[in-house]
Amino acid sequence: MDTVPEYRPGSEADFERLYRNSYRRILGTLITMLRDRSAAEDCTQDAFERAFKAWKTWRPDAPAEAWLHRIAINVAINGQKRERLQEVGALLKRVGRPTAPADPAVLAERSDLLVALRKLPPKQAAAIVLRHFHGYSNREIAISLEVPERTVASRLAAARARLQELMEGTRAGPKKFG
Amino acid sequence: MNGAGDFELELERELHRILDPISAVPIPPRRAPISGGFTKRLLGGAGAALALKLATGVAVAAFAAAAAGVATEVAATGSLNPSNWGQSVTKAVQTCKDNLRASGTRGIGPCVSAIANQHGQQVSDSHRSSDARGNGKDKGKSDANSHDKGKTTGSGNSHRTPGSGGAGGHP
Repeated sequence: MDTVPEYRPGSEADFERLYRNSYRRILGTLITMLRDRSAAEDCTQDAFERAFKAWKTWRPDAPAEAWLHRIAINVAINGQKRERLQEVGALLKRVGRPTAPADPAVLAERSDLLVALRKLPPKQAAAIVLRHFHGYSNREIAISLEVPERTVASRLAAARARLQELMEGTRAGPKKFG
Repeated sequence: MNGAGDFELELERELHRILDPISAVPIPPRRAPISGGFTKRLLGGAGAALALKLATGVAVAAFAAAAAGVATEVAATGSLNPSNWGQSVTKAVQTCKDNLRASGTRGIGPCVSAIANQHGQQVSDSHRSSDARGNGKDKGKSDANSHDKGKTTGSGNSHRTPGSGGAGGHP
């Protein structure tokens, strides 16, 4: 994290500042965990809503953004469960209809990496993004994932190994069939 | 080792390629928390029927308990008027207090205790007899029976309410 602004628990003005400072970063993490951008935006708002309710209980010894990430990751895990149920319905609706032209912004977010990240267990995907995109320390990742700090390194190693496997699988796929 | 290092570099590059454009997206206004969200969800969704059933169950149980209480008091005092129930206890306490005072004892503690015990005994007797009649099957039936009980055993009970009758006997 670049700067650590001072926040006071319970202060609405400070929470608004925290929202402005971390909205995009939380959204970035959730995009890698959820089906699409709109689902990620929805979960991000949900996460801030929950965080606001708990804002009085936040303790400044934990970085505010890592605390927010913890809430957001839990919201996303619940969101994933909902998505799985909705996917079946959406698939049935789509059957036989022409596909809508893709949004260019959505196209930019399509990649083998995203596909592979979304196949990982949610906390592993989050760990990858927190370390390799946000540059979080082990302590910050531990707070975000609600795990002991000493297990972060092994979790990250497991997540990277699984991701590498998945990526190699997706790369090998088209070659095999192409 | 190099392979892992390369993979990490590639990972970071790809993550930045995908997620950096998000730093340019406009930040929407924060969604205001909805007050009473849980209640709305409970009453508005599929839980509505369940909530209604629960509320009805609680209301029926409360009504049954109240009706049983009323029946017991009616049986004990022989009156439908709730103020009479209190009056009978007040009267009994007053008589007992007068007796104690005459014998030189102060305070109403022993009187209240004795009357409370007596009343408790009556209530439990009355419950026992109504359970025996209704076989504990149907509350409504047992409540209806308790009316009959007022006529039959209830009259016996009113005899056994010496708080009022007995006190009357003592000048």
